[in-house]
Amino acid sequence: MRELLHRKLERTAIGFVLAIIVAASVGGIVEIAPLFTIDETVEEAEDMRLYTPLELAGRNIYIREGCYACHSQMIRTLRDEVERYGPFSLAVESKYDHPMLWGSKRTGPDLARVGGKYSDFWHVAHLTNPRDVVPESNMPAYAWLARTPLRLDDLGSHLQAQRSVGVPYTDEMIENAARDAFGQAVPDSEQASGVTERYGEETQVSAFDGVTTRVTEMDALVAYLQVLGRLTKAAYQNTAAPEQPPNPND
Amino acid sequence: MGQLTTRERDVAAAILIVLAIIGIAMAVAGRADPLGVHGAIVLLYSMALMYLIMSTSFGPAPDPSRISRYYDDPIKVGVWFTLFWAIFGMFIGVWAAAQLAWPSLNFDTAWASFGRIRPAHTTGVIFGFGGNALIATSFHVVQRTSRARLADQVSPWFVLFGYNLFCILAVTGYFMGVTQSKEYAEAEWYADLWLVIVWVTYFVLYIRTLARRREPHIYVANWYYMAFIVVVAILHIVNNLTVPVSLGHAKSYTIWAGVQDSMVQWWYGHNAVAFFLTAGFLAMLYYYLPKRAERPIFSYRLSILSFWGITFFYMWAGSHHLHYTALPHWVQNLGMTFSVMLLVPSWASAGNALLTLNGAWHKVRDDATLRFIMMAAFFYGLSTFEGSFLAVRPVNSLSHYTDWTVGHVHAGALGWVALITYGSLYTLVPAIWKRERMYSAALVEVHFWLAFAGTLIYVFAMWNSGVIQGLMWRTYTEEGTLSYSFVDSLVAMYPYYIARAFGGLLFLIGAVVATYNIWMTVRGAPVVSGERHDDLPLAAPVPEGAATSPAE
Amino acid sequence: MDVTHETLVETAKTWGLFYLIGFSICVLVYTFWPANRERFDRAKRDILDKDDRPWT
Repeated sequence: MRELLHRKLERTAIGFVLAIIVAASVGGIVEIAPLFTIDETVEEAEDMRLYTPLELAGRNIYIREGCYACHSQMIRTLRDEVERYGPFSLAVESKYDHPMLWGSKRTGPDLARVGGKYSDFWHVAHLTNPRDVVPESNMPAYAWLARTPLRLDDLGSHLQAQRSVGVPYTDEMIENAARDAFGQAVPDSEQASGVTERYGEETQVSAFDGVTTRVTEMDALVAYLQVLGRLTKAAYQNTAAPEQPPNPND
Repeated sequence: MGQLTTRERDVAAAILIVLAIIGIAMAVAGRADPLGVHGAIVLLYSMALMYLIMSTSFGPAPDPSRISRYYDDPIKVGVWFTLFWAIFGMFIGVWAAAQLAWPSLNFDTAWASFGRIRPAHTTGVIFGFGGNALIATSFHVVQRTSRARLADQVSPWFVLFGYNLFCILAVTGYFMGVTQSKEYAEAEWYADLWLVIVWVTYFVLYIRTLARRREPHIYVANWYYMAFIVVVAILHIVNNLTVPVSLGHAKSYTIWAGVQDSMVQWWYGHNAVAFFLTAGFLAMLYYYLPKRAERPIFSYRLSILSFWGITFFYMWAGSHHLHYTALPHWVQNLGMTFSVMLLVPSWASAGNALLTLNGAWHKVRDDATLRFIMMAAFFYGLSTFEGSFLAVRPVNSLSHYTDWTVGHVHAGALGWVALITYGSLYTLVPAIWKRERMYSAALVEVHFWLAFAGTLIYVFAMWNSGVIQGLMWRTYTEEGTLSYSFVDSLVAMYPYYIARAFGGLLFLIGAVVATYNIWMTVRGAPVVSGERHDDLPLAAPVPEGAATSPAE
Repeated sequence: MDVTHETLVETAKTWGLFYLIGFSICVLVYTFWPANRERFDRAKRDILDKDDRPWT
């Protein structure tokens, strides 16, 4: 009986393909299926904010330039990482990240909590030429970011697309996306007040690149770097102790 | 394309016209976006192919007896694509490696900065070099082991040129900053959609060709190719589910978020290693090794067991990329357990290959091509052991985020994937171009030693730097504070980054030597006299008078 | 029916294991089924006998 079955499976080749699918996919399904209900296990974070349009644009520049290839955004639950970079990363902190940028390699340091660690000015100097501030650095220079104006007109459709994959942007946010992006980078403008109204008092409104006459890609990227790790304070309230790294002397 | 009839040319032309229209639509819709540039590329690509078809369309009608022969023309083109992408991808790799040691080597341009050329390197070697090698060899193996001609005339070309269009869109996109940022799946939504169409065609062609065989049993190499085709399709579709910003934007947002996205990404990433970089290349191993050694595989049953073992276990192992992260603990442990179990089928394959050669070591000594294959099996065993080892949580706490991972990947990519590919190419090229031998056996020898030395230098440099980096990050002073700043660990890396670039350069030179050797073989090596009557398919209708030997 | 995270995790942990064992048994039976031996041996040799040999 089994014999017959196998012969048939092979004879048609299609049966064989099905066998491959069953063997290969069930493992994945069994392992991944529980993650679809992971919302139930992700920590609650009442204070979780959304990326402002400017920060989202900065995030897209971070992706575009491939920053994730050298910088992780995931502090593991190990003592040395917590002491070097800050409290370990929680699942909730990346719940609006489409895609996540946890990274897999640290040619440069982790950036999960880099927000607020350095001044805007430091970031601009560092991105313009990293070796001006860190002589040993091997990071590429991104001087052109300060020369390139940020594309504002399509930010609304970016927010719209984000909403369709589950990020709760409101109609008002989508409508005012371009204004808000401008306002966040130009503190004295009339558009500036709308940003904090819509995205929360914690939102940083600043002339990130030091120039208030126009919004550049440098503004966006620095705004994003400055918000990393600061969308929620949940990680600082978590009291669980980090794991000790395995000690070779034990 | 000389074997296409007028009707088949018409079909091809129709496809190209549709493609050209798509290109124009993309160029118009995305005129304010990199998408527009890609539209222009699609248009130019289809026009160039159209020109190729048109320029030969008034030639003589194809020889009717072609149907009784194997269809090797697409394989030949696939070999050239493979060689081109090898040099391109490895050159970008050496350049990227050099940038880590000398950061000004991007000449202050956006397109050449590390973050943009790094995916161009990975896509160039994995999909360009590896993918074309897999397509070309699979067309060869499926025809020879089934003793049947490819089931269709046009679709092999569609698969080949369609696949390379995907690679071109992907790589040119990265230079412009078009990327999904999903590692090893960076290409954007429209390129991904196109790949689905190409891949389905590939699958149908493969299945239809297999269906033409006479022997009820399917040779095991084809199992691996089929697993490669089927599972890569599943992985590709699930991982690349995205919502584009608009039809005029190259940019899209993945439907997966945060921790879910990380799991999907590494489920994809790890199984791309399994089914793209392992299953497909094991298929090469199980065909070209016995052919070249002129000995049957040591144990056919073992190859079946390891096939199902690999197909089954790999799928569970992806979460070992996420140890100590926000991924739930039980998923991490599951991934670790299966990664360790994976060692069994992996070593079964490697052992099977090496035992096949047992008793024929004199051939390995004399024949550099066989040595390529033998060394590939050895590196396969080595890197699968290393992989299982690195998947153990405490080891991973040290190795993750460091160059050790990079070293591991390249032990697999250079030592296993590239060596088995070149070993297979040196066997395949004389066979399909009907040459007695390669143009120069000495150059094969030179290539072997360049590749071997390059791999060793690369891997040892990265092992060293990775372990040093990992240890420096976690070293404490007696007062209980961290001993080294991050920059301290970076400074310690520079010598290794230079050594790594040098190792990669040796490997690149080897690839250039191989291309030259194959080029000269095709141009000049002595042709086999007379038609080989044992190199004809069986299943196809045989014209009157053509001499073939039917099975049994 | 309400599918909770707990249920799914439990399914993964138990039925996943049964599936693994069952699958392994099927593969082992297929591989060592005596009647298959001849076919495997033929497959193993066929690629050498009936096809073009490598030119060295």
